[in-house]
Amino acid sequence: MAEEKAGRFPDPHEFKVPPELEGWEEMYPSHHLFSGDRADWEKQQFWYQDKIHAPEPMPPLDLLFQEAWQISLSQYTTRVFCIPPAQGIAQRMVGCYMYICAIAPPPPEVIGEKAELFGKRVFYVFDHYEELWDKWLTKFKALGEEMKALKVPAELPKFVPEDQVLPAPVGFYDSYKLIAAFDTLVNQMFKGWQYHFEMLNLTYLAYLMFGDVCRKLFPGISESAIGKMVAGAYVSMFRPEEELCRLSRLATESPEVAAVLKSSAAVNKKIADLEKTPAGKNWLKAYDAAKDPWFYVSCGSGWLHYEGSWISNPEIPYGYIKSYMERLEKGETIERSLENIDKEREEIVAEYRKLIKTEDDKKSFDGAFNTIRTIYRYAEDHLFWVEHWFHTIWFDKVRKFGKLLVDNGMLNEVDDIFMFHRYEIPELLTEVATAWALGVDIPVRGDFYKTKAEKRRNILKAAGEWNPTPALGIPPEEVAEPFTIMLWGVTTDKVKEWLKGVSSPKAGDVKEIKGFAASAGVVEGPARVLKLLKEIVDLKPGEIIVCPNTNPSWAPVFTNIKAAVTDIGGLTSHAAIVCREYGVPSVTGTGIATSVIKTGDILKVDGDTGVVTIVKRAG
Amino acid sequence: MAYTIIFENLDKRSLPLVGGKNASLGELIKAGIKVPPGFAVTTAGYLDFITQAGIASRIVEILAGLNVEDVSALNSAAAEIQELIKGAHLPEDISGAIETGYAELCHKCGLKAVPVAVRSSATAEDLPTASFAGQQDTYLWVEGADRVVDRVQKCWASLYTPRAISYRVRNQFPHEKVLISVGIQKMVNSKAAGVMFTINPTDGDPSKILIEGNWGLGETVVSGSVNPDKFLVDKVMRETVSRTISTKHIECVYDPVSREVINADTDPERQCQCCLEEREVKALVQAARDIEAHYGRAMDIEWAIDRDFPFPDNLFIVQARPETVWSQRKAESKIGAKSGYQLLLEQAMKRIKVSE
Repeated sequence: MAEEKAGRFPDPHEFKVPPELEGWEEMYPSHHLFSGDRADWEKQQFWYQDKIHAPEPMPPLDLLFQEAWQISLSQYTTRVFCIPPAQGIAQRMVGCYMYICAIAPPPPEVIGEKAELFGKRVFYVFDHYEELWDKWLTKFKALGEEMKALKVPAELPKFVPEDQVLPAPVGFYDSYKLIAAFDTLVNQMFKGWQYHFEMLNLTYLAYLMFGDVCRKLFPGISESAIGKMVAGAYVSMFRPEEELCRLSRLATESPEVAAVLKSSAAVNKKIADLEKTPAGKNWLKAYDAAKDPWFYVSCGSGWLHYEGSWISNPEIPYGYIKSYMERLEKGETIERSLENIDKEREEIVAEYRKLIKTEDDKKSFDGAFNTIRTIYRYAEDHLFWVEHWFHTIWFDKVRKFGKLLVDNGMLNEVDDIFMFHRYEIPELLTEVATAWALGVDIPVRGDFYKTKAEKRRNILKAAGEWNPTPALGIPPEEVAEPFTIMLWGVTTDKVKEWLKGVSSPKAGDVKEIKGFAASAGVVEGPARVLKLLKEIVDLKPGEIIVCPNTNPSWAPVFTNIKAAVTDIGGLTSHAAIVCREYGVPSVTGTGIATSVIKTGDILKVDGDTGVVTIVKRAG
Repeated sequence: MAYTIIFENLDKRSLPLVGGKNASLGELIKAGIKVPPGFAVTTAGYLDFITQAGIASRIVEILAGLNVEDVSALNSAAAEIQELIKGAHLPEDISGAIETGYAELCHKCGLKAVPVAVRSSATAEDLPTASFAGQQDTYLWVEGADRVVDRVQKCWASLYTPRAISYRVRNQFPHEKVLISVGIQKMVNSKAAGVMFTINPTDGDPSKILIEGNWGLGETVVSGSVNPDKFLVDKVMRETVSRTISTKHIECVYDPVSREVINADTDPERQCQCCLEEREVKALVQAARDIEAHYGRAMDIEWAIDRDFPFPDNLFIVQARPETVWSQRKAESKIGAKSGYQLLLEQAMKRIKVSE
């Protein structure tokens, strides 16, 4: 198998990136690069591009989330809950794109040891899930509040204030605080990501188990049906939308508030106008109460600094409120019907259950179903708290450092801070702290860093034009790691597909793309490619949205689209869940939809099979 | 005892009088399923005919002591009885009842001579344990009262084909207990037609509905003379799990010249075209669910889509009988009785083979 030329991908050590990307290596920490000293091991692995988490060229600082998940996800599988034959997932960067590999199973004696620990540790979690979830949420919120409270100096003082010197010197000052604050911020993010996987591996394992039971009993049952059976209606991910609905209804109760919110004025003006009346003040109070945590929602996946959030773009929630109010006036219902969602789920489960012919199988089905239902909320809830709420707080804090670096002549723009990886930023901060400590008019190496940031932006841009190989190295014999199976859908067929695609066709030649059959149904219609949330204004009813991924901040658009196609996300992604709820066909996790489909192309979306066909190219 | 009864007045209790097929058509109408209109010629019609024509005792004599293993004896006995039935004079009150029934059907359909299907409906058929499927004659596209009466007599005769006689003997059904009724039903002018099962017949999966169809009348699908289009649909979610569009060379259509149905070559552009629209599949699935719910068991159903009506009025169910293969088997557990934790541990130990 390894010897077959045809059955393998390029050797990662011989693979060449385009010359325009020259110098990309320095953008990422050394442990994320393929190297001669690890070559023997690296050559034996199967590396494939992680289009789920890193579909775009990776800004250096944003790699931190990836670094954090690599460690955390893997440790829960290998050292904490000990999923017996499974090991972790390793990452490498190649020309600004991330490749990952599922590590082969450990030796049999290790599997045996892990199996023992697994039984002891895992079943406890299922037995005490509710209580553990409460504990999880409590500590996670506390961590987020800690991060919010972290002080980043807006400027370094001319002289430290009196109270830090007399009656007794504090003993450490802004030069130390600045560097320590960044370290603390990074540690908080890493800690948050340690929490992120606390029960996620087990959730995925339970989901795979339930899916397997369903497929044994009902061969060919769709992923969409399985998803519908396990989904919950009352999940955090939908709260942002629910809060918008509530605020919209509240606004319609007062004509003067309604008039302001329905106008096309800028958000600042709306707020100023609302401040003028008691009813307006009341409404603003309600808005502010909802804002934290529920509007800490990324406009994208939460993985990339340039996506923005509702907090940084209030015109997004205000825009939704305006359109909700218009719909309310037309007499439409704007809320999801939670009761219906629950009722529908129960009906589906009952109907499948009724079809099971033997009592034994019924018992297994019930056991499997109760197990997944116990824990499944974790998959839906953690996403809001970590990727949205927590990341939004993080980006806001990082920009405070960015601003300080701009003010001190180290960078041209606040967001240039994202052009440096997390091990480099302390260097920039130390430079600023040193100059401050040394005294007046001390030069810093600003040009050096400004040039570097500029160069890296250009490398990222060039990387965006490049379509790298889907995989490197030798396909594995077997995989046991639940995420690899569920999120990336690594199967023999998938590997074959990648092998077929080794010489990726040009975007314009692609006729058909594959992803997860996330929500059933077949429709045909015109595509609307939305790379960023702000492009939503162009969306027309009856179009098929094609986007990197969706998240709670996209929810309001689902009521008038024909189908959704995403680059990123598996069967439990936001798009998958929302589409199933609204009965909109959806194919998720295609990896390439936004790069090969153009707005206006006529698509056929088959949510039953996970195939998107480009029926006719636009113009 | 009436010689004819319209389908609306039949249900499963009518079986001794009108046979399995007709009883089930009445039952379907009772369940709110759209069935083309028609009537049954009762078993009383058949019984009175053989009695009054004086051939009943002769039939018994021929069959007494017949060794069905002796093929030539079987064939000649069958031929003799069939000749008796076809050649005997049909009493006026019986033929009159059939003619009247046909005239009323013509009136109902607003046609002078409505084309009908004339189908045998034996009292021992479509039982949950024995299908007796396709043992007796069916005549399609019969127009005019004289022809209808003639085909009824032919159906009666088909109770005594060599195959039917030996099947009864082998399954220990006494001949005199098996009576025959005939169903006379308005022909669906089928754009497409076929069969569906409310179970996956290949693996017995009860959560699926299998639909098979072809252009024209359903006979090509029923007889297996064409590879049909296939849809495997999830019964609960009503989602199509897999769809196979076959190359369908022939279709069964009415030939106005010979005034019969024939298997004609399908025009090339329709051969690889799917014979069903998405909405038609959905409507068929709904009908299959309703029929299964009414009978409380897996069913084998014949459907047809009429080209003369707009959707959804064009969808007709022409037959439904219990599925006999999987329903007879004892269900075997696929997983065994396991707890959620056992299953979770099994999943945790699994490895997915990735390379080949």
